[in-house]
Amino acid sequence: MFGSHLGRRAAGRSRLVGAVGALALLATACGGSSLGGEEGGSGSGGSDGPVKIGLLVPQSGVYNALGNDMKAGFETYLEQHDNMLGGREVKVVLADEGETPESGRAAAEKLVKKDKVDAVVGVVSSATMMGVKDLFESSKIPLVGSNASPTTLTDTTYIWRTSYVNDEPGIALGEYVAKEAGGPVYMIAAGYQAGEDEIEGFKTTFEPAGGEAVGDPVYTPFPATTNFQPFLSNVQKSDAKAVFTFYAGGAAVDFVKQYAQFGLKDKMPLYAPGFLTEGGVLQAQGDAAEGVFTSMNYSPDLDNELNTAFVADYEAKTGTKPTTYAMATYDAAKVLDMAIEKAGDEVTSETINAAIGELGDIASPRGTWKFNDNGTPIQMWYLREVQKTANGLENVRVAELGTLGD
Amino acid sequence: MGVLQWFDDNLVSMVDGVAFGLLLFTLAVGLSLVFGMMDVLNLAHGTLYLVGAYAAYSLSDGSLLGLAVALGVGLLVGAAGGVVLAGMTQPLAGRGHLDQAVLTLGVSFIVADVLASAYGAEVLPADPPSALRGSVSVLGHTYPVYRLVFIAVAAALALVVWALFERSSLGALVRATVADRDMVRALGVDTRVVLFAVFAFGAGLAALGGVFGAPILGPGPGVDETVLVLSLVVVVVGGLGSVSGALLGALLIGQVQTLGVAVVPEYAPFLLFGTMLVVLAVRPAGLVSLTKRQTA
Repeated sequence: MFGSHLGRRAAGRSRLVGAVGALALLATACGGSSLGGEEGGSGSGGSDGPVKIGLLVPQSGVYNALGNDMKAGFETYLEQHDNMLGGREVKVVLADEGETPESGRAAAEKLVKKDKVDAVVGVVSSATMMGVKDLFESSKIPLVGSNASPTTLTDTTYIWRTSYVNDEPGIALGEYVAKEAGGPVYMIAAGYQAGEDEIEGFKTTFEPAGGEAVGDPVYTPFPATTNFQPFLSNVQKSDAKAVFTFYAGGAAVDFVKQYAQFGLKDKMPLYAPGFLTEGGVLQAQGDAAEGVFTSMNYSPDLDNELNTAFVADYEAKTGTKPTTYAMATYDAAKVLDMAIEKAGDEVTSETINAAIGELGDIASPRGTWKFNDNGTPIQMWYLREVQKTANGLENVRVAELGTLGD
Repeated sequence: MGVLQWFDDNLVSMVDGVAFGLLLFTLAVGLSLVFGMMDVLNLAHGTLYLVGAYAAYSLSDGSLLGLAVALGVGLLVGAAGGVVLAGMTQPLAGRGHLDQAVLTLGVSFIVADVLASAYGAEVLPADPPSALRGSVSVLGHTYPVYRLVFIAVAAALALVVWALFERSSLGALVRATVADRDMVRALGVDTRVVLFAVFAFGAGLAALGGVFGAPILGPGPGVDETVLVLSLVVVVVGGLGSVSGALLGALLIGQVQTLGVAVVPEYAPFLLFGTMLVVLAVRPAGLVSLTKRQTA
């Protein structure tokens, strides 16, 4: 009896070890991937009947909040324009991008093959963007992406982006930080593609401007790192005068809070691409975020007529100020509005796509911008500082960082 | 001097390692005892932390009273969850670990989805009571007050748990059930009552860890998986079914995750499982092994 008991215990142990391994895999591989969206009829096109636009944004998983912002931005535009784009009625087909490239690709295939939409808007994840690239190029349907924009995405005919290229927020900050830091700068970022893109982008303008770095950039394991204390201790020990970082979502909340808790906030100014304090994360960070400097292509306090109307309508709809994600998707609707108008009588996927290429200046809440040859915006970048205002903590525009994209 | 300098450089990391280790202990001890005693692999254990952390977020209003209320609610909900889980897994007792794992994992997915639809997809800010906010200087290093208080409270909690299980007659009964359930049953003790009680105790402790830990590791989707994997690693490293093993394993993993990461940041992604690998290679049954004690 004793022997068999020990045997059972040993078997239990090996299963336990197996379970740990399986769970580690599961934590990375298993995500919500349910497909949403409405049932659609057959294709539209031609000169009458509604235009069908696919809205491909996450409705589940870790990017859900971004997806909601984007959806609200798109809807705000449609509500401002009586649900018409380019003089045509619009039928929106919503599809859930989910969390992984697999779920995103499945949703995109459904929009293209089953719903036969004329154009698609959205896409949050860079991995999804790379995964659906061939689908849109080969089926000749324009994808007006409004967030994901990996640096490696080039030479496309049917893929446009109203956001920016991933390394541009870093590029925008390099020269400014080199001038303002007054000493060496410590670079620390999330250890995945976006983090590396931002750091590399930052270096391309930081180093030529005479900026001095503290050693090599430090990449923290993503998404495993929630306690940044050991990394922050190393920052504290260094002779850095300022810190450049990249985090988004939950990691941004942890990083900014702990940056304050471990006493770095008042010692070294923190510079980052705007995602660090964008949208819901800012409220979660609270006072710890005060004084953080970020670069972004948009700030809700921009002073122009389009922005005033956009902010007011968006706030009335959602109760929050628009994020850059909402603004870029609002602009994606604007791009389609202009392109469908331009396409004239024969509105098909291909005429819409050709028209997007000839749009020229686009008036937007962010100011006027236009597409470059790569299908990404030529636009102004802004430096924002988190300040306490009458409405609580907000990203307040403090300087222009120059035009990027051309 | 070199040693002193090194010590000074890494003091904050070591202190934080203790805080993190004690947080892991409150999680891992329940998992370890339940697996050791009931032979139930409870993959919904991380969910109990999540429930506790959301309780802290919902109920703490910045006052110490709010924290106390959150503690009470967390403890009750956690313990009740433990009893439910014990009841659910009991009929599967004869069917091996895979069935238990699938059942409890399913429960954790369902609860996680319910919590996500109730609280949203963002990681939520669970601020400590205002009296415990801010930072103090520890030998010239800035350190958050809340984490210091957490160390004191969690250390006291660990001491109580250790004394209860390793030094009291109640603990002796529990340990006897771990060692040989059939023999204890033969002595006339209803081991099922012991099993339910231990399950409820471990689950309550995990939820308590969630309430206390929320300002350090806040509630959000995926946090349940994170803490579950960490607790499983602690149990594997520390040894199954033993309170001192869970404590030792948790403190070791705590230091690995803080001091280790600070000293060799470039190896940060490998340190956790690297440590587990080394311990498994050297002491396959974990640092504190009950089987060793039996055969000795």
